[in-house]
Amino acid sequence: MKRSIALLALCTTLVAPLCAAQATRADAEKDPVLAAMLTELDRSMSHLQLTGFQKPYFIQYRIEDVDNFQADASFGATTGIDRAHQRIARITVRVGDYKTDSSGGRGDSALELTSLDADPIALRSALWAGTDRAYKAALDSYAQKQAALKQVQTPPQADDFSHEKPVISLAPPATLQLDEQSWIARVAKSSGLYRTDPSLRAGEPDVQTCAGTFSARVTTTWLVNSEGTIVRKTASEYQQAFATSTQAADGMKIERSFASSGPTLASLDSEDKFNKHAVEEIASLTTLRNAPVVEEEYHGPVLLSADAATDTLASVIGSGVTASRPPLGTEARTTGPFASSLHTRVLPEDFTAVDDPGLTTYNGQALIGAYSIDDEGVPAQPVQLITEGKLVNYLIGRDPIRDFPQSNGHGRAGITGPPHSSAGVLKFTASDGKTDADLNQQLLALAKDRGQSVYYVETLGGPLVPRLLYKVSPDGKRELVRGAVLDDLDQRALRSSILAAGKDLWVANYFGDIPQSVIGPALLLDDVTIKRANEKNDKLPFYPPPN
Amino acid sequence: MPYKSCFALPALALRLLSLFAALLIVLSTSPLRAAEPKDSSVLLSTMTSELDRAFHALGHQPGADPTRQLPPYFMSYSVADAHQVNIRAEYGALISSADSHARIADIQIRIGSPQLDNTHGTHRASAVNSVVLPLTDDKEAIARSLWYATDAGYGNAIDNYLRVKTEAEVRAKEEDTSPDFSKEPPVVALQKPAPAIVLDRAAWEKRIRQLSAIFREYPDVYQNIVILSVQNETDYLVSSEGSRVVTPHVSARLVALAVTRADDGMDLFRAQTFEAETADGLPSQAELETAIHNLGKSLEDLRKAPVTVPFNGPAILSGRAAAVFFHEVLGHRLEGQRQRGDEEGQTFTKDIGKEVLPSFLSVADDPTLERYGKTWLNGTYTYDDEGQKAQRVQLIQDGILKTFLMSRLPIKGFSDSNGHGRAQTGRIPTGRQGNLIVTSTKTESDAELRKQLIEEAKKQGKPYGLYFEDISSGFAVTQRNSPQAFQVIPLVVYRVYVDGRPDELVRGVSIVGTPLSAMKSILATDDHPEVFNGECGAESGTVPVSAVAPAILLSNIETQRQPQGTARPPILPIPGSPVTDKAEAPNSESSLLGKKEAK
Repeated sequence: MKRSIALLALCTTLVAPLCAAQATRADAEKDPVLAAMLTELDRSMSHLQLTGFQKPYFIQYRIEDVDNFQADASFGATTGIDRAHQRIARITVRVGDYKTDSSGGRGDSALELTSLDADPIALRSALWAGTDRAYKAALDSYAQKQAALKQVQTPPQADDFSHEKPVISLAPPATLQLDEQSWIARVAKSSGLYRTDPSLRAGEPDVQTCAGTFSARVTTTWLVNSEGTIVRKTASEYQQAFATSTQAADGMKIERSFASSGPTLASLDSEDKFNKHAVEEIASLTTLRNAPVVEEEYHGPVLLSADAATDTLASVIGSGVTASRPPLGTEARTTGPFASSLHTRVLPEDFTAVDDPGLTTYNGQALIGAYSIDDEGVPAQPVQLITEGKLVNYLIGRDPIRDFPQSNGHGRAGITGPPHSSAGVLKFTASDGKTDADLNQQLLALAKDRGQSVYYVETLGGPLVPRLLYKVSPDGKRELVRGAVLDDLDQRALRSSILAAGKDLWVANYFGDIPQSVIGPALLLDDVTIKRANEKNDKLPFYPPPN
Repeated sequence: MPYKSCFALPALALRLLSLFAALLIVLSTSPLRAAEPKDSSVLLSTMTSELDRAFHALGHQPGADPTRQLPPYFMSYSVADAHQVNIRAEYGALISSADSHARIADIQIRIGSPQLDNTHGTHRASAVNSVVLPLTDDKEAIARSLWYATDAGYGNAIDNYLRVKTEAEVRAKEEDTSPDFSKEPPVVALQKPAPAIVLDRAAWEKRIRQLSAIFREYPDVYQNIVILSVQNETDYLVSSEGSRVVTPHVSARLVALAVTRADDGMDLFRAQTFEAETADGLPSQAELETAIHNLGKSLEDLRKAPVTVPFNGPAILSGRAAAVFFHEVLGHRLEGQRQRGDEEGQTFTKDIGKEVLPSFLSVADDPTLERYGKTWLNGTYTYDDEGQKAQRVQLIQDGILKTFLMSRLPIKGFSDSNGHGRAQTGRIPTGRQGNLIVTSTKTESDAELRKQLIEEAKKQGKPYGLYFEDISSGFAVTQRNSPQAFQVIPLVVYRVYVDGRPDELVRGVSIVGTPLSAMKSILATDDHPEVFNGECGAESGTVPVSAVAPAILLSNIETQRQPQGTARPPILPIPGSPVTDKAEAPNSESSLLGKKEAK
């Protein structure tokens, strides 16, 4: 316990420099959006009260200006172009006090579309409408909360809302600027490679889908709350994605896809690199069609490439290290697989995990999950989550859990969504990392030792679905197989089945509502199950494609 | 692979085809349609060749299981190529302004025979599969997209046909044994595609913003939205019967919606819509401003109006209200498919040849009518969504029910389409209204009609009659697939007192009892029909419609108080109102933290 408190203190001092160049409320009021938000916030805090009921003790306004562009293409031609620019206000009203308030039920917030114009009355009107709704809903939730508290013997394990120091931080607003036509053309071209690339001619009739997408999103967020926090911040994310599919002769669906994502356009793969990758994936459809189906069931050593392992670490560990309020009346600290795992081992002893949203690049690669202030207006802090394999901390926003009364700047929200604890840049390292060559050698040694074939996962399509899976014979021969699904690749496997980890780390940039980066090594596991996916094999096409 | 050209049609079809082409030229009068019937579009030619290839390949592949892989007897591709511009403002500021372009193909596949196919009974939706098509004229990409979706649609159609056959064997004989698909001659009508949208975006953004800002003068209007929506769409249809139809649809629509809440929690709204072929044809800004002021004023009046009490007596529906009433209460029940099937009310099925309205009333649906007086009609079209030529259909003549609105789904006694098969993209067409037109031979002036209302009220011993000025359009209440589609919600209702007191606005009126019986009690109409333009939602999706009717005097309508919300009106006044600015002025200087401490 002492340890984590010490860590928290350390984090707080680390963050201090971020707030050094202190902007003021007067600076903020030069921004018409912030000025309108502050006016309406003041008015609501002083005057909003239903006779006979409590006033709000906390109000927060978050307006997101979302500038989106998306181009879709299929079979070499553009199928959709979407440019959308909207501003959405999320209004949060809390009734009660920090210890016990109206939060937790549905509807402590209201959403309103709001003005794209710098029109103070229109901006305030949307906030006013949402505040009125959110306040009435909060009164209702607060009454329900009081009633629910009377139904349980065990009191809540933590306060409902953390106290945080107000922050004023004003980053310049951002707009989406890109050459739309060139991206439209680029995406169309990538989706037509199956028919334009000379090396793919032979397999062309078998391609059933071939699609490309480019998405860009620039968000400016304005956030003010009744504690005095005033924030203007921006975020941008870009992604070019590709997907193609076919069926094997037995009807099995075979899919390949990949994406290049980053916080800037410059951080995406060049067109040449991207298209080369796409061509490789289309070519792999033919290889996969002809590959044998995986054996019925296998238990034993599996080497996950750094790419595949990072996806696994993100889904198995990443999902467990975020704090969230447990159900009322229980003694639980948080929810999820690591609810009771504090100070216990969750990875081998040579593993360390840190979430540091302040890390903007790794090995020259830009990180999409980096940010400086979270969506509750709390500065992001680096959090040492796992030390010597043991879980020592959680990622947390302003919903405290037992022994963790403060936010560490990880309250993040999707567009229009409520904030919840979430990773930013989550990095896993093993102190005794090996080269890929060493890992492969170790895998082969295991095959020889046991006198049986073992498996190598090059890339995953979903948390447990290998897209490229190789069967490695004791003689070193590698054979691509299809139709497999991984099993038992869970918290237990990562705790006690890892034999070795890689030295070189893979960067996975997850484009999405809450962009995240996860960085991790390859993993060699002793005991993983691989079996047939046994999904429904649809009929092959009833008639051939046009030529 | 066997490949046949789309022109390899039976001789009869070819003859009919040229006949229709000739007819088309005669009828082409409007500038939009005075197009050279050219067939050079890559989209249309690819649709035609790919449809033909699929029609002759499906079920004829070497090695195909003849008991399962049955050839389709009918296929069609219909593509909606739609350009849209939408501008929206709320509280006097723009909230979005966007344009879009989409091409969506609906692939229809029918397996079995017209007598019994995969669309039978509850399987109706199984004939349609939709796919997003390339926006550019890339033949190879269009063909490949159509192939992929056709293949998937065929699998689904087969599956449903086999289930239909099994169900037909185990079930008792159906009441209506009509076929599932009507026989119609192929139609070839290649009109000129819709032109590109011409719109001064910046100027319209300003206009929409200004219109929304008018509501600031009505601080009790808690919510408002003003939307301009311009759509230029071209529909392409090709079928295995040899039909090839290209039809343009252009429309511009301005919608203003405003909401308030009475002190007792009753939510009140008003909506007004304006339609024209193009944005230029919409009313002038000055006229729109007047309309918005009227909406705002009317809501402020409504929230102070007394709540209605249950009433059973005479009433007048204004022309606009009567138009909505006829569309919702009568029009929907005259859709052909409602006379067939276990789940339909079949209100009028057995009433052909019988009097369903007073003999001075007649009702027709005429999609071929472009204007009523000077007003453009939203429900106008030249060919329906099954490629059938639009027709004027006399539904009720002198009060006697004559026929129904027919798609290609036959019903007992009516085996053919009458050009009313309509659907939103992605849905299978059903019989729908276009322009519903009610005419009367017993007309009076408005003053005379009002006099008759008062006389009728006196006769019935009532202190007043009701005047329904506005009842809600389909726009506000027709959720997709919702039975609400038939419901009408009175928005503006006055009491017209027999003792000469001024008319009194009331709120919360809801019509109860059977609206159809109310229709039989129509005593007279006024002499200047009004147009209601709107959008109508039902099983086959949302389609543009119009209804035209004179004001009607009814001897008997039953109303009660409508159920209402219980939420209070907003606690603080809306920003920008004189009250608000006064109340908050002293606070705007003080700091947030300072104020918190002061509490």
